[in-house]
Amino acid sequence: MRAYLLEDIPSLLTHLGKDRQLFAPQHIEDGDLHWLPADAASEPALDSKPLLPLSSPKAFFFAERETLFRFDGSNFIETLPEVEPQALFGVRSCDLCAITYQDQFFKQDPYYQARRQATLLIGLDCLEPCDGGFCPTVDAGPFVREGMADLILQHHEQGWLLIAASDKGKKSIDGLPLPPAPSDWQVQRERHEHEIAARFPDATHIEAGVQFLNSGEVAATTWEAMGLQCLSCSGCTSLCPSCSCFATFEHPTEEADNGFERERCWDSCLYEAFQREASGHNPGAKAGARVERFWFHKFSDDYTAEFGRYGCVGCGRCERICPGVIGVHSVMKRISAQS
Amino acid sequence: MHKETKHTTKVVNSICPYCGVGCGIGLQVCGEQVIGVEPQRNHPVSQGKLCAKGWSTAFALDPKDRITTPLIKENGQFRPASWDEAYSVIIEAFTAAIEEKGPDGLGIIACARATNEDCYAAQKFARAALGTNNVDHCARICHSPSVAGLRQTLGSGAMTNSIDDIEQADLIVIWGADPTENHSVLGGRIMAAKLAGAKLLVVDPRQTRLAKMADVHLQPRLGTNVALSNGLLHILFKQGWEAKAFLEQRCENLEALKTKVQDYPPEKIEAITGVPAAQLEAAARLYHQAERALLAYGMGITQYSNGTNNVIAISNLTLATGQIGRKGTGINPLRGQNNVQGACDMGALPDVYPGYQEVEDPASNSKFSKAWGKALPGTKGLTSLGMAKAALNNDLRCMMIMGEDPVVTDPDQNEVRRSLQALDLLVVIELVMTETAKLADVILPAAAFAEKDGTFTNCERRVQRVRAAVPPPGEAKSDWKILGELAELLGYKGMAWPNAEAIFNELAALTPIYGGMDYQHLDKHYGLQWPCNEQNPAGTTLLHTEQFTRGKGQLIPVDHTDPAEMPDTDYPLFLTTTRLHFHYGCGSMTRKSPLLERETPNGVLFIHPSDASPLGIRQGSPVRISSRRGEVETRAVLSEELPEGTVAMPYHFKEAPSNQVTNNAQDPVTKMPELKACAVRVEVI
Repeated sequence: MRAYLLEDIPSLLTHLGKDRQLFAPQHIEDGDLHWLPADAASEPALDSKPLLPLSSPKAFFFAERETLFRFDGSNFIETLPEVEPQALFGVRSCDLCAITYQDQFFKQDPYYQARRQATLLIGLDCLEPCDGGFCPTVDAGPFVREGMADLILQHHEQGWLLIAASDKGKKSIDGLPLPPAPSDWQVQRERHEHEIAARFPDATHIEAGVQFLNSGEVAATTWEAMGLQCLSCSGCTSLCPSCSCFATFEHPTEEADNGFERERCWDSCLYEAFQREASGHNPGAKAGARVERFWFHKFSDDYTAEFGRYGCVGCGRCERICPGVIGVHSVMKRISAQS
Repeated sequence: MHKETKHTTKVVNSICPYCGVGCGIGLQVCGEQVIGVEPQRNHPVSQGKLCAKGWSTAFALDPKDRITTPLIKENGQFRPASWDEAYSVIIEAFTAAIEEKGPDGLGIIACARATNEDCYAAQKFARAALGTNNVDHCARICHSPSVAGLRQTLGSGAMTNSIDDIEQADLIVIWGADPTENHSVLGGRIMAAKLAGAKLLVVDPRQTRLAKMADVHLQPRLGTNVALSNGLLHILFKQGWEAKAFLEQRCENLEALKTKVQDYPPEKIEAITGVPAAQLEAAARLYHQAERALLAYGMGITQYSNGTNNVIAISNLTLATGQIGRKGTGINPLRGQNNVQGACDMGALPDVYPGYQEVEDPASNSKFSKAWGKALPGTKGLTSLGMAKAALNNDLRCMMIMGEDPVVTDPDQNEVRRSLQALDLLVVIELVMTETAKLADVILPAAAFAEKDGTFTNCERRVQRVRAAVPPPGEAKSDWKILGELAELLGYKGMAWPNAEAIFNELAALTPIYGGMDYQHLDKHYGLQWPCNEQNPAGTTLLHTEQFTRGKGQLIPVDHTDPAEMPDTDYPLFLTTTRLHFHYGCGSMTRKSPLLERETPNGVLFIHPSDASPLGIRQGSPVRISSRRGEVETRAVLSEELPEGTVAMPYHFKEAPSNQVTNNAQDPVTKMPELKACAVRVEVI
C-alpha cells in the first residue's frame, strides 16, 4: 500500500473524473445528504464527524428495480447492464464492509458484478463517532479496512493521506503528481483508530445482545412483543447496506402478444408474504418469527464462516428509520435486558 | 446489453401522496423517472420514516399503465383524441345541460388526492365558470361529520393539536382508528410514546395492533360510540372528575349535558355496547389521572349514520375533561387522504368557499363574486351522493370527476354505477384506468403528484410543498391547467394562471387561514400550520388556547341510536369495513407494487373462528357475503382480532368490492353514508 500526500480534493476529483462518472455524498437544499453525481466543482461531504446518507451506496450495484431479461414472443433477450466506469467517492468504512459482504452474496450475479467491476471505491476514514453508529463493536470501522477500497482518504491538518489500497486504485492515480505522505502518517493511522474507537458510546447492549441471540436464549415472547411493533414498512431492509433479498416478477410487454419482461426488485423479509408458499403455508407467518430471523441474519455466528463477518456493519440506519422502535439499539437493549 | 442509466441524478423533496399524515419524502430521480424514494431525514412530521405505502411510491409512479392522451368513448371503446376534440365534446355537453337544466345540471367531484391548487381550481371552475355550487369530494365519506360536528362544538373542524403533541401527552386515546395501519408513521409515534411511558386507551370493536399494546382496550359493538362516550361522562360527573373550572370558564350548556348522561349508567352501557362496567370505569379513571390526554379518532367515529353525533359525543368528553387548548391534549381527527384537509380548506364542498366561508352568507358571496368577477350562486349545492341521486332523477346531466373512484370506494356500488351511467356525459380526469374511468365518456390524462408543483395540507393543518420531479407522461397535465383551459372555452377568463404558485397566491389572499403563507415561507419551514396570518406569521400549532373559534365550547347532549341496519335472522352478522396498511383507497397506486400486491390477497373477509366454524368456513374458504343490496364473493381469513358476530372487509379491491353490500343510509347532517356497519349473511361457496 503506497501512501501519498494529497493537497486538495478537487485535483483528485478532476483526475478521477477524466475516465469515469463520479458519485459522492452531497448536501441538498434541506441540508440532507444523498449519493449524487459529482465533478471537480462538487463539494462532497467528507467531514470528520460523518453524517451517513440515509440511502447507502447499495443501489449502485444491487439495483432497486431492474430487468433481468425479456421475452419477445419467440426469444429470450439478455438485458445485462453495460456500465460505464464509475467511482464512488468518500464511502465510509461501514458501507464498504457492507459492499464487501454483498460482493460475497452476489458473487455469481452478473448484473451486480457488471456494476461492481466497473466501480472504483474511494474510502474515507471517520475521525469521530457518528450519531447512532457502533462500527468498532462489529469490526466495521471507523477506519477503512484493508481490501475493501481501492483508494483510502484520511484528513490531516496539512492535507489528505491518500492510500493506494489496490492495484486498481494505484492505476487510477497514475499521472497525478503526488508526493509521498509523511513517513509516520501510516504508522499513526493504526494507533489513531484505537483512540477514535474508544470515543464511541458504550455498546455493551450490542455485545450482550449478540451473545443472547447466538445462545438461543431470547424468549419467544420477547420476539413476539417486538413483532407486534413491526409494521412491515420495509424501511430497515431498504436502508440496511447489507440486506440483499429480492423478489422477481413478470409483466407483459407490448412487443408481442405473449411478450414479457422479468424484473427484480428489493424485497423485505419483514413482509408477511415474503416466505409464504403457494399452498398458503408460511414459516414466517408470525411477525415475531420474522423479526427474529432478520436479527439472526445480522448477528448469527452461523454466517461468519461464509461471509467473514456479521451482516450488521454498525451504521445505525435501522434505528433511525424504524417507525416501530425496533431498530438495532432498541432491539439489542430489549434482548440484553431480558435476563 | 443495454446502457446502464439507473442511478439517482437528483433527489427532489416532496410530500408522500398517501394518507393525511404528510410525511416528507425524497423522490430519487433518474432522467425522467422516479426510481426510488427515501424519507426526508429532518422532516418534522415523519422524522425520517415512511410506511410500506410510502416506500413503494416509485411503483405507483411507474409510467406503465398511465393514461397519456385524452380518450373518447365510441361504441363502447376508448380511442385516443386530441385535447381540442375532447374539450369540444365536453363543452358541447356542458352547454346543452346548462340550457336544459341550468348550471345545477352539472356537478364536479374534486379530489382529496390532488393539490390545494387543483382543488381551488375545481371549486372555482364549478362556481365561477359553470355557475353551480355542485362541488364535493370524498371528504364526504371520511370526515364530513368531523367538520360538521366540531364546527358546532368548537367552531373549527380540524385537528386541534399537532402531531408533535403525541409525545407530550400522558394519556393517548385512540377511538375508532387504526393508526399503525392507516396512518402508520403517526401510529409509530404513538407506539413510541407508549413505550416511553404514556398510557394508552383504545376504543375499537377490533383488536388492533395498538389495542394489543393498550393499558385499557374498550371493545364496543359497532355503532355504540355515543352510548360509550355518554357512559364515560356519566362516571366522570358522578365521581366529580370533570374539569370544573374549565367548564365554568370556557363551555356552555353544561347542565343539559349532565342531565342527558344521567340516563347512561354503566349497567345500561354494558347492555348497549357490550363493554363491561369495570372496563368503562378503568377508562374513566385513566382520564381522571391524566394531566394531558390527547384523543385521536378516525372512521370508526365518522362513517355512521349518526357520524355527526358521534363526533359531538367525543367532543363533549374532551371538553368535560378540559383536555383541549393545551400541548399534549385535544380532539384530533386523523384525516384519511394526503390532502383531504386541504380539499376541505379549499372549499371543494357544496356549502363553503375556501376557508369555510359559507356560500349562503351574503358577505362571503359578495366577496367571492367580486374577486372572481362573476355573480356566484347563493345557495348550497349538492353533495356527492346528492349528485348521484340527481343523476338518477335526470336533474343532473353531466359530471366531472377528478381522480376519485367512487365505483370502488362509495357505498352501494350498483347504485353508483346506475347513477353514473344515467348521465349524458361523464368526464374523468385520471392517471390510470380505474373502474370509474371505465364508465366515462371522456377521460383526460392528469399529472401525478411527482409531476407537478403545488401544496398538500396534512391532518395537523400543515400546508406543505409538493414539487415536480419529473415531467408528466405523454400529454398529461395538471388538473388546474385542464380546468383553466375548459373555463376559457366556456368564456370565463379568471383561471388562466401561469403556474401553481400564482394560484396559491390568489387563494391565500381570499382564504384568511392561509393569508400569511407563500411558497418561499412554506419552503423554508417544512410547511406552515394554519391559521397563518398577520397575527400568527409562523402558523399555529395549537388551536383554542384562550377561547374556542366559536367563543365558548358548546356541549351538546346526544343520544345513542342504533345503526340503520342491525343483524337479524336473514342477515345475522354485522359487517364493518377496514383498511390495510399495504393498500390505499381503491388501490390504483398501491396495487402497482408487486410486493404490496403479494402481501394481501385481492379481496378478503375477516371472520372470527367461532362464527366461521358453524358455517363450515375454514382458512381460505371461498365465501359469499350478501346483504339487502348485493353480494360479493371472496376468501375468508380467520381472525380472532374481530369480535364474534362481526365480520370485516377492506374496501381496496375491485375484485371483491365491499360496496356491493355496504349500506348507503346517511347521516342526516352531512349525508355521510354508514360504511362501518350493515347486516350481512356469509356462506361458504
